[in-house]
Amino acid sequence: MKIDKKLTQLAENLVAYGLKKGADQVQVLIRSSSEFSVDVLQGRIEKLTEAGSKTATLKVIKDQKVATASSSDLDREILHGLIDRSVQRAQLLNPDPFGALPEAEAVQVDAESLGIYDEAIARMAPEMKIQRAKAVEKICLADTRVKKSFGASVSTFEGVNYLANSNGFSGAYRRTSMNCGIQLQAGEGDNLFDEGKSDYARRKEAMMSPEALAAEAIHRVTRLVGAEKIETQTLPVVFEPGQAAMLLGFLNTCISGGNIFRKQSFLGDKLGQKIAAEHINIIDNGVLKGAPGSRPFDGEGVPTRKTVVVENGVLKSFLLDTYAARKLNMKSTGNGSGANNLYIEPGRDTPEEMIQSLEKGLLLTGTMAFGLNSTTGDISKGAFGMLIENGKVTRPVAEITIAGNLADVLQNITKVGNDLKHTSSVVSPTLLVSGMTIGGK
Amino acid sequence: MYSIDRRDFLKKSGLGIAAAATTGLWADSLFAGLSPASNLFTERFGISQEDMQAILNVALSKGGHFSELFFEYRISNTVMMEEAIVKSASENIALGVGIRVLNEDQTGFAYTNDLSLEAMKKAALTAAAISTTPGSARAANLRVQTGNHQLYDLKRPLHQVELGHKLELVREAYEGAKSHDSRIVMAQSFLMDEIQHVSIANSEGLMVSDTRPASVLYGIAVAADGNKQTTAYQSSGGRYGMDYYKNTQTPRETGKQAAEEAITLLSAVDAPAGEQTVVLGAGQSGVMVHEAVGHPFEADGIRKKTSIFWDKRGQQIAKPIVNIYEDPTIPNYRGSMNVDDEGMKTQKTQLVENGKLVGFIQDRLNAELMKDQPTSNGRRESYQYYPIPRMTNTVLMAGESDPKDIIKSVKKGFYAKSYEGGNVMDSGKFTFSVNCGYLIENGELTQPVSGATLIGTNVQILNEVSMIGNDMGFFLGSCGKEGQSLPVTAGTPTLKIDKMTVGGR
Repeated sequence: MKIDKKLTQLAENLVAYGLKKGADQVQVLIRSSSEFSVDVLQGRIEKLTEAGSKTATLKVIKDQKVATASSSDLDREILHGLIDRSVQRAQLLNPDPFGALPEAEAVQVDAESLGIYDEAIARMAPEMKIQRAKAVEKICLADTRVKKSFGASVSTFEGVNYLANSNGFSGAYRRTSMNCGIQLQAGEGDNLFDEGKSDYARRKEAMMSPEALAAEAIHRVTRLVGAEKIETQTLPVVFEPGQAAMLLGFLNTCISGGNIFRKQSFLGDKLGQKIAAEHINIIDNGVLKGAPGSRPFDGEGVPTRKTVVVENGVLKSFLLDTYAARKLNMKSTGNGSGANNLYIEPGRDTPEEMIQSLEKGLLLTGTMAFGLNSTTGDISKGAFGMLIENGKVTRPVAEITIAGNLADVLQNITKVGNDLKHTSSVVSPTLLVSGMTIGGK
Repeated sequence: MYSIDRRDFLKKSGLGIAAAATTGLWADSLFAGLSPASNLFTERFGISQEDMQAILNVALSKGGHFSELFFEYRISNTVMMEEAIVKSASENIALGVGIRVLNEDQTGFAYTNDLSLEAMKKAALTAAAISTTPGSARAANLRVQTGNHQLYDLKRPLHQVELGHKLELVREAYEGAKSHDSRIVMAQSFLMDEIQHVSIANSEGLMVSDTRPASVLYGIAVAADGNKQTTAYQSSGGRYGMDYYKNTQTPRETGKQAAEEAITLLSAVDAPAGEQTVVLGAGQSGVMVHEAVGHPFEADGIRKKTSIFWDKRGQQIAKPIVNIYEDPTIPNYRGSMNVDDEGMKTQKTQLVENGKLVGFIQDRLNAELMKDQPTSNGRRESYQYYPIPRMTNTVLMAGESDPKDIIKSVKKGFYAKSYEGGNVMDSGKFTFSVNCGYLIENGELTQPVSGATLIGTNVQILNEVSMIGNDMGFFLGSCGKEGQSLPVTAGTPTLKIDKMTVGGR
């Protein structure tokens, strides 16, 4: 998929049309994408989807009043009607001086240098994707401990975002992604466990091999067989990278500008203060080469960048879009599309060393439910994982709950693993956290 | 080819009525004179039944045994208020067609938002590729299905209401929350309304349309006192018109209920962790019925034998006092539909009768493969998705106990009032996040509790229900499955669960 000059032109023309119709400011985002996905079950293609679509999303500001609209019907006259109505709808709203579009910035990021578009994914033949899904499932089903497969899937995406606004910004970038995953079931009688593994990347060469993915999925589900509740107690917890990312995702909610100005975060007044253990450094990097969340500009046309969020345990920055930045009298950090690549900088310990350091603890491998309160920092989730005794993983644990408060959790991170991988836009290495409440029998 | 430019009508109405400044009137003229059963795509877009049949034939050309077109035109509007001002109003248009081909147990699917005959035939050919042995099957002549329900309140549906009146609803909800108590430091209100028109045609000759109005109003309140801050939500709505917001559940009441809960939570204590007796309050605990009971009954998990219930039909899976059904025909409810997204006239389906498993939640494909009857539960988020078996309105029927007696019977335990949500795995393990609960001490609700998690398995819970209240209430929610989000409700009376794990701080 190439950047289509006609769509760049359409976005720019719609901005001009909005201004002509009386808008003070106009922003137009056009997304064009195509997707392919295949689900394989018991060695047979179960579902195959192939499609392309385009949508336009626009924002119109008139007398400091903001109206938005979107359409998957890109007929020019339909879009003109949508703009006409937006201009008029805006006039019935209240003025909001913070709602203006971002000022143009001098420095722009070169989209192609980010390595987020991969011809190898764009050109991958459907047969290859089908074979990959079949290969993963075949390996998993060959393991007698695996009771059932929910199916393996491979999907690919390619898309172009075009953004233009009345402050003089016009840009476009393209990206690809590929996903491969499988979900399995293991266990006996009514005591069954669902687990699996899925892998995601912008570049094909970054994907796990079918063999490695299958092995990981098998490991993740079979180790849970026979899991039982344990007594209610306080334990140190080793968060596997996926679960550590859940914690970081919660931190992301608590440092996002919208929740700060809405006073929905316990970190709202903590800028410049020590919020985490001293060895903790947290970064959001929108220009990290080949990473899932990299993009040259965010959903408002603001260039992305590297933002130090936590340095030596001290909260240095929130993640801000233009609106929240104005409300807080700060500057946008290029997070108009949320976190770009938010991660905890890796430490020195291997996950094995972290487990070995514990006399008793829990290796947290999965959590369920919502249970995260940004206003208070409270965490309360259903959990499963492996019990650690005398430095060794001994037996599986399920139907327990894990609880704590993010403020304490961040301070109680005693070790950070060396195993950081950018498989999603919010990622973390393995973390060891002391003193979490485990609810069980 | 076409007799009319499909966009001609839209262009005229879009530009001609723009001066009225509301989507409402524009959409109104688009849908003017349409009953829920009219075919917008034929009447307004000029896609004739012959065109549809031609596309269905292209879809069958590589040997599939069934093909289907799902046309959708949806206009949705959102108004949001916070910090005492209406900050934004949006209008969103979704237009497209999803084309599905079945080949034995295999599904080929493609969609496009280009409704030219050429583009639709190309998509049909893509979906057809699920089969590779050219077939000679032809689509049957389309016959318009008649005798469907009319389950929606069509008096002043929200999409026809002028923006000014919608702003009043949003302001009322905002004020209901913000002015409830001086400790409410922040409030938010949203009104979302939509009109979704679908036309479904398939190779067996089915041709049916449905025009579905819907709206939902949210009130959100944040309370603060000293260092403590709490948040609570309330929602209302369904396939109702304006009367609902005037007479049944006013926006002010919705806002106030959110504020009341946020204030209650200011004095909340941490949840007592461990296994204990749990009373699930009526209404909001519908999320438990939805998660723990509903999902494992969905036929895809049954057919693939991944659901815990796959081999339990006809067996006692719950206490005999438990009766559960699925019902997309409750008038005006959020999960209700005249026909499902595969065009089947909707019907009520009993799932559990006196504790026995008697039915599954079926769509067309799974029913066909299991040699079972479809139950009108084939749903999809939009034309961009193929249908899968989904819940609509799921109800655990009222029992005989007075809710007061249920609480009185518990010496020490936990009462769950409202939830943030929950989820369940196919293996039956579920988790709910409780926003607001209470301690039960010596048969009475005492301290409010925040941040609790309920965890268990559906098999265990269905067998630990010892008392069922004679009351009833409904949870309004959106259910996510395989990346598709759909509006649902779930109803439940007060329930006593003898033993459940509660997680807290």
